[in-house]
Amino acid sequence: MMNKPNKPNKPNHRPRRVLLTLALLSGLSGMSVEAAPPAARPDATTSARTPAARPDATRTPAARPDATRTPALAGPVYLVGGELHLGDGTVIKDSVIAMDRGVFTVVGGPEARARLPVGATLVDATARIITPGLFAADTQLGLIEIDLEASTRDDGKTTEHPIRAAHDAATALNAASSLIPVQAVEGITSAAVAPTGGLISGQVAIIDLVFGDHRGLVAHPRAATAAHFGQSHAGSRAATLAMLREVLADARSFPARRSAFERAQSRPLSAHPLDLEALQPILRRQAVLTLHADRASDILSALDLAAEFKLRLAIIGGAEAWKVADELARARVPVILQPTENLPGSFDSMGARLDNAALLHSAGVPVVLAILGGVHNLRNLKQETGIAVANGLPWEAALTAVTLGPARADGVERTHGSVAVGKAANLVVWSGDPFELSSAAMQVYVRGALVPQVTRQTLLRDRYRDLEQFNHKHN
Amino acid sequence: MPRVNKRRPALLLLGLSAALGCGKRGPAPATAPPAAAAPATTPPGPSDPEPPGPRRQTLLRGATVMTAAGQTYARADLLVEGSKITAVGVDLPAPAGATIIDLSGKTLTPGIIDTHSHIGVYAAPDLVGHNDGNEATAPNTAGIRAADAYFPQDPQIDRARAGGVTTMQILPGSANLFGGRSVTVRLLPGARSVTDARFPGAPEGLKMACGENPKRVYGGKAGPSTRMGNVAGYRDAFQDAREYQRSWATYDKDLSEWTAKKDAPQPDEPAAKPRSGQPADPADKPDKPDKEPTPPARDFALETLVGVLRGEILVHNHCYRADEMSIMLELAATYGFKIRSFHHATEAYKIADRLAAADTAASVWADWWGFKAEAFDGIRENAAMLTEAGARAIIHSDSAHGIQRLNQEAAKAMYAGRRAGLNVTDDQALRWITANPAWALGVAEKTGTLEPGKLADLVVWSGSPFSVYTVAEQVYIGGELVYARGKLEPRTDFELGYKPEDIAAPQGPR
Repeated sequence: MMNKPNKPNKPNHRPRRVLLTLALLSGLSGMSVEAAPPAARPDATTSARTPAARPDATRTPAARPDATRTPALAGPVYLVGGELHLGDGTVIKDSVIAMDRGVFTVVGGPEARARLPVGATLVDATARIITPGLFAADTQLGLIEIDLEASTRDDGKTTEHPIRAAHDAATALNAASSLIPVQAVEGITSAAVAPTGGLISGQVAIIDLVFGDHRGLVAHPRAATAAHFGQSHAGSRAATLAMLREVLADARSFPARRSAFERAQSRPLSAHPLDLEALQPILRRQAVLTLHADRASDILSALDLAAEFKLRLAIIGGAEAWKVADELARARVPVILQPTENLPGSFDSMGARLDNAALLHSAGVPVVLAILGGVHNLRNLKQETGIAVANGLPWEAALTAVTLGPARADGVERTHGSVAVGKAANLVVWSGDPFELSSAAMQVYVRGALVPQVTRQTLLRDRYRDLEQFNHKHN
Repeated sequence: MPRVNKRRPALLLLGLSAALGCGKRGPAPATAPPAAAAPATTPPGPSDPEPPGPRRQTLLRGATVMTAAGQTYARADLLVEGSKITAVGVDLPAPAGATIIDLSGKTLTPGIIDTHSHIGVYAAPDLVGHNDGNEATAPNTAGIRAADAYFPQDPQIDRARAGGVTTMQILPGSANLFGGRSVTVRLLPGARSVTDARFPGAPEGLKMACGENPKRVYGGKAGPSTRMGNVAGYRDAFQDAREYQRSWATYDKDLSEWTAKKDAPQPDEPAAKPRSGQPADPADKPDKPDKEPTPPARDFALETLVGVLRGEILVHNHCYRADEMSIMLELAATYGFKIRSFHHATEAYKIADRLAAADTAASVWADWWGFKAEAFDGIRENAAMLTEAGARAIIHSDSAHGIQRLNQEAAKAMYAGRRAGLNVTDDQALRWITANPAWALGVAEKTGTLEPGKLADLVVWSGSPFSVYTVAEQVYIGGELVYARGKLEPRTDFELGYKPEDIAAPQGPR
C-alpha cells in the first residue's frame, strides 16, 4: 500500500482553473473569479497587474513582470488567504504575505492584515497552497542550452588538470537562456548552478530564475565548491583521495606561503595558485564542499576528509547513503539525491532504492531532493518530490527538501529557501497539492516579481494549435 | 520478500493465494506447441502458458476499471479464465469454483506497453561488457536482431515490471539508418532466453533512425555525414530491396516453370529412344529438362526490408523534426510501405494532421526536450495535440527510469493538454500507454485493453494511475501474477548476493 501523503488538501484531479485576481473589481478582498479557458491565463495576469486598475494603491504600482526589468525593483504585492507552507515545516492558514523590492516584508496569519497599507490591493489566494519557490539543488541551468552542442555549453573547463577550483560558474551564466522561463513558470525559482568535470570542478553559483536579467541572475556566486569523487581521476580511489588531501593541504598552507611562492622559493604546488585561493572559503567554512559520491564507502571517505579539514560538506548523489545514514546524521551532512534513482547503474550504486530519502530522513539526515545534473526538465522536481513521498518521505519534510533544505545545504538559508521576512520573495501559488501531477503553478514570483506564463514552448504550442492555416498557405 | 524460485510455479491467478502465503500453488506450465501461423519472417514465439485441463477462473471484484477501450467503470468486476479476460462488467456473477479477489479501492488497468526500450541490450550496470544496443559498424545493419542481444538477467526488467509494464519492444539503438530488427517481449520473470520472453505471434519491427545520430556516428567515417546522406541511404536500401524482391520473384517464377515442366507428363516421348551407348541425337536437346534455376544469394538485411515492403515487419522510425518526418512519410509512400510509428517525434504536433492521414503513430515523451538540436522544439502538449488531431499518440520511455512510471508520464502529458484547453479524457491518456502501443507493435488483437478475449495483462494500482502517489500493487501477465508489491518482487540473477540479508540468511530451495 502506498504511503498516504499527509497532504493538506485533496488534490484536484479535474482542476477547474481558478484565477487569482486582484479583488479590485469588487472593491473587496477575498474574492476569486472563475476563469475561462487556461489560454486566457497570461491575459488575466496582465490585467491583474495593470497599474491603472489600482487607483487607490498606497505605494508605487507593482512592477510589471517584465523580463527586461530588474526584479529587485518589483513593487509591493499582497497575497492573502492562502495556506502558506513556509518551507521549514510550519504551516499558516489564512496567511498574509507582503513582498516588496524583491523580499518578503510581511509574513503572518490573519492578524497580519492590519500591517498592510490601507487601501492596498490584495491578491486573493483563498484555499490555495502557497510554498516557497522550489530550489533546484544541482544543475547547469544557464550554462547549457543544448547538451549535445558544445558551442552552447559552458559547464566545464577544457584542461587536463583535475583541480579547477577557480572555475567560476557565475562568470559564464546566460540569463537569456530559453530554459530559464520553462522551469520558472512551473515553480522553480532558484538553483545551485555547478560546473562539471574534473575532480574539483569549480565554484557553484546560486541563482534566482530572473529571465534576461544578466546583472540580477546571480544571488550568491561561489556559494559552494563542487567536486566529484570516485576512482576515475587518479586511477584508483586511494590515489584520488590522496590527490584531494594534497590539494586541500596545499590550499591550507598557501596563504602563509604566497610570498615564498611568488619569489619561486616554494616547492611545486599541487594546483594553480588561483585554484588554491579559490579553496580558501571552504577551508574557512564560509562555503560548502559539495561532493558527488554514490558508494557507501566513498561517502564514508568523504566524511573522514571533511572531518580532517573541518569542511562543511554536502553529498550529492548518495545512492547508497541510506547504508551509512547514522554516520551522516551524526555529522549533520546533508544528502542531495534524486528520488527516482533506483537502478544499479554502476557498481557504485548497487544499493540504489526508491526509499533512500525516507530512510535518510527517518535517521535524521538532512535530505535534499534534486534532479541531478538536469537542465531542461528541472520543472519535474515536483514530480520527483511526490515520488519520494509515495515511497515514505513525509509530505512536509519533502517540501523542506526542495526549498529550505537545498538553501541550507548550500549555506544560503539566510536569504533563500523559506518564506520569511527579509528573504528573497520567491513564491509559488499552486492550483492544488504542489507535488501532484494534476496541479500546476498558478502564480510564480521570483524576487517579488510575477513571472509571465509565457515560454518558448507555449509560443510554439500556440503557433501550431491550428494546422489548417498552414495548409491554406502551402496547398 | 519472496524470491522467485528458479523452477517458478505458474502463478496463475489462483496462485495469488500461494504468493500471499495462504494457499496452494498452481500447476507447472505445460509445454505447448509454438504459436502457429506466424509470418515467414517472424520467429516462433514461446510456448503458450495455458495449462491443460479446465481453465482456472478468477473474478477480480470491485475495482475502478479503466478499460482503455472507451469505458471507465467507477466500480466493476473482471473475470479471467486461464490466460484471458472473459468478462468485464458491473456485478458479474461469480462462476462456481472461481477465485474471488477483492480489489475495492483499487484501480484496474491494462498492463502498460512501451514501444521503445533498450532494456536487455543496454543492461544495467552500464558496463563495457553490457554495451549491446548499437551495432555502430555500418549505417545499414537491417539484418541484425535485438533479440540476439537481449539479456534476460538485466535487473532493469524487474524495475519496469514493478511499474506495471507487461510488454515492451526492445529496439536496437539509433546510430544507424537501419539499426536492425526489434523484438517484442513480455516481462515474465524467470526467462532464461529471449525465446522465453517473446510475445507470442508479435511481428518484428525494423528500427530506422533519422537526423543527428547517424550523422554523428558516421560523419567522421564513410558517411552519411548529412541529412542528405541519410535520406540517400534509405532510398538506396529500399531500391536494393525492390530489386532483391524482383530477383526472387524472377527466381520463383523460373522455379515454378521449371518444376511444372519437370513434373509435367512428356506426351511427345520419343518413340524410339536412342540406344544406350549411342551419343544422343542433337535434335533431342530442346526436349531435355532445363537446368534447375539457381536462387539469388540470401541477404538478411534486404530480407528485412522486403519484409517491410510486404507489411510483415513494422517500421519504427526514430525521428524528431516535423520536416524530416514529412520526408520519411513521402519516402515510404514512394516505396509503398507504412511507417508504423515515429519515435521521439518531439515535433509531431507540427504535423499531427499528416500523421493522422498516414495512420502513422507517434511515440513521444511527455516532456523531454532540448538535449540536442533536433529535440529543441519539444513541448508538453505534444501527445494531447496529436490526439486532438485524430493521430495515434503513444507515450514511450526510451529510459529504464521512465519505463517505471509511464502512467505518470501519460498523466503529465494529459494534464498539460487540459491546461492548454485540449480535451483529453482519462481513457484516451490511458490508451497512450496501452492500446495505442499495442497497435504500434501489432499485438492489439491480444493485449492493450480490458476486453473479453484479450490476454489478462493487468495492473492493480493503489489509486488513480494518474496520481504521483499511486503505485502498482499487482501485475499480471497472461493471467499470471508476476509482481505483488512487497510480496512478490522477482529479482534477476545479477542482483543476487549484493544485499547483506542475502548472505546473512541463505535461502534454501522453496
